[in-house]
Amino acid sequence: MMGTGGLSLDQAPPIDIPARFFLTAPLFAIAAGLLLAWQGPTLLVSRWMPGALAATHLIAIGYLGLIMCGALLQMLPVVAGAAVPAVRLVGTATHLLLTVGAAGLAWGLAGSGPTLIRVGAGAAALGFLVFVIPVGIALVRARGAPGTLLALRTAALALAVTVALGLLLVAVLQGWIRVAEHTRWVDTHAAWGLMGWVGLLVVGVAVQVLPMFYVTPTYPAPMRRWFAPAVLVGVGAASAAWIMGADLVGQAVFGTIALGFIGFAFITLRLISLRERPRLDPTLLHWWAAMLSLCGAALAWTFAAPPTLIGVLLLVGVGVGLPAGMLFKILPFLTWFHLQHRQLGSGRFDLRIPHMGSLLSTRWARVQFGLHLLALALLAGSLWVPVLARPAGIALALSSLVLLLLLIGVARTYRRFAALLRPAPSRAGPQT
Amino acid sequence: MDRTLDVSDLPAPEPMERILDALADLPPDDRLCVLHRREPYPLYDMLRRMGYRWEISSEDDRYRILISPVPKHQRPVSRLRQQGASRF
Repeated sequence: MMGTGGLSLDQAPPIDIPARFFLTAPLFAIAAGLLLAWQGPTLLVSRWMPGALAATHLIAIGYLGLIMCGALLQMLPVVAGAAVPAVRLVGTATHLLLTVGAAGLAWGLAGSGPTLIRVGAGAAALGFLVFVIPVGIALVRARGAPGTLLALRTAALALAVTVALGLLLVAVLQGWIRVAEHTRWVDTHAAWGLMGWVGLLVVGVAVQVLPMFYVTPTYPAPMRRWFAPAVLVGVGAASAAWIMGADLVGQAVFGTIALGFIGFAFITLRLISLRERPRLDPTLLHWWAAMLSLCGAALAWTFAAPPTLIGVLLLVGVGVGLPAGMLFKILPFLTWFHLQHRQLGSGRFDLRIPHMGSLLSTRWARVQFGLHLLALALLAGSLWVPVLARPAGIALALSSLVLLLLLIGVARTYRRFAALLRPAPSRAGPQT
Repeated sequence: MDRTLDVSDLPAPEPMERILDALADLPPDDRLCVLHRREPYPLYDMLRRMGYRWEISSEDDRYRILISPVPKHQRPVSRLRQQGASRF
C-alpha cells in the first residue's frame, strides 16, 4: 500500500482502540461537573479542597489523559510512521488502568481515604507506564514530520516526569517519605503535567492537524523546531529552581514559558484566520476559546490572580474544551477513513460511504460549544459570586453529556456501515 | 470529454470525497481531471482497486491528476478482490 504523504491503514491501529478512549473520557468530565454541582462553592474555596483535588484528577487523568493517550496511539503510527508495539494489548491495558486509576484516585482524594488514593494512583501510574514504554519505543524508532515528532517526544518525556512526581506526592501523603515544603512539589507536578505533557501535546497536534483539517499555512519553521525543546528545558530549570527555593529564578522562567505559550496561541489564532476557506466550524470555535483561555491563564498568573482561576482556565478552558473540539474532527475522520478502507476490502463500490461532514451534527456541536462556554464563564464567575458554582457544575456536566452523545452517534453510524461492508464470501472469497 | 475538479483548497478528507463522488457520476467514457495542492497518495490505492488508471503532472505546488477508467477486459478483477479480502 502507498506509504507516504497520508494516512495508511496498514499502520493505523484498529478503530475500536482509540474509540474506546474517546467514548469513556466524557464520563469523567460529566463526573467532575456533577461533583461541582453537588459540593457547590466549597469545592472552589482553594485548590487544596478535597473536591477540587478530585475534580482536577477526574479531568486531568480521566478526561484529558484518556483522550490524549487514545489520540497518540492513533496519531503516532500515522504521522511518525512507527507502529506502537502490541498496540491492541497496550491500548486495552492503558484504557482499563487509567479508567480505574482516575476513578479511584478521585474518589480517594474526595475524602474516601488513603487506600483508594494508593490503589487509584497505582493503577493510573501503571496505566501511564504501560503506555509510555511502547510509545517511547515507537518514538525512538520514528521518522517523518520533524516538528510534530519533536513535540510528541518531549510531551511523552514530560508525561513520565509528571507521573514520577505524582507517585512521589502519593508517597508523601502516605507518610512513606518526607520532603520540605511539599506544596512546591505539587506545583512542580502540575507544571510538568500542564505545560509539559498537555501543552506540548497540544502543540504537536496543532502543528499536524491545523494545516490538514483547516488548510491553514504551516507554523513558522523556528517554532516547529525550537518551541518544544525550549519548553522542556525551561520547565526542568524552573521546577528545579522552584524546589530549591530560588523563587525569583523559578518565577522568571515559568513566566517566560507562559509568554511562549501566549505566542503559540497568537500564532495559532493568526493561522486560523489565514485559512483558505473560512468556514465557521464548531471545532474552530473550540480552538478560539481554548487559545483565549490560555492567554487568560497566562495573564492571570502574571497579575497574581487566585490559583483557582488559573486552574479553571487551563483545566476547563483549554483542557476540557480543546479535546472536545478535536474529537469533533478526529472521530468522524477515523470513522470515514476506516469505512473507506473497509470498502476497499469488500469491493462494495456500489455503496456510498457517508461524508465525514455528515457524521456529526454541526448544530448539536454548536450547542455543545455554547454549553461549554457557559460552564467556563459560570466557573470563572463563581470565584467571585459563589452561588454560580452549582449551575457551573451542571453546565459542565451537560456539555460533556452532549459531547458523549455526539460521539456515540458517530460510533453507531460506523457500526451500521461496517456491517454492510463485511466482505461477502461469494464476492471476495478465494475460490475465484 | 474531460471534467475538471479543483480540490486544492479543500480540507482533508473533502478532496477524496469529492473525487469519489465525481467518479461515481462520470459518464463511462469520460475522464476526470483533478487539480490538487499535493499528491493524493491514499487515493491511488482506491483508484487502482476501483478499476481506474491515472496520470500525474505537476508544476510547483499544483498537481494535475487525470483519471480514466481501465477498459473492462484489462482489469484483473478477481486477483484484486483476493488481495482485498486477505487484508481484513
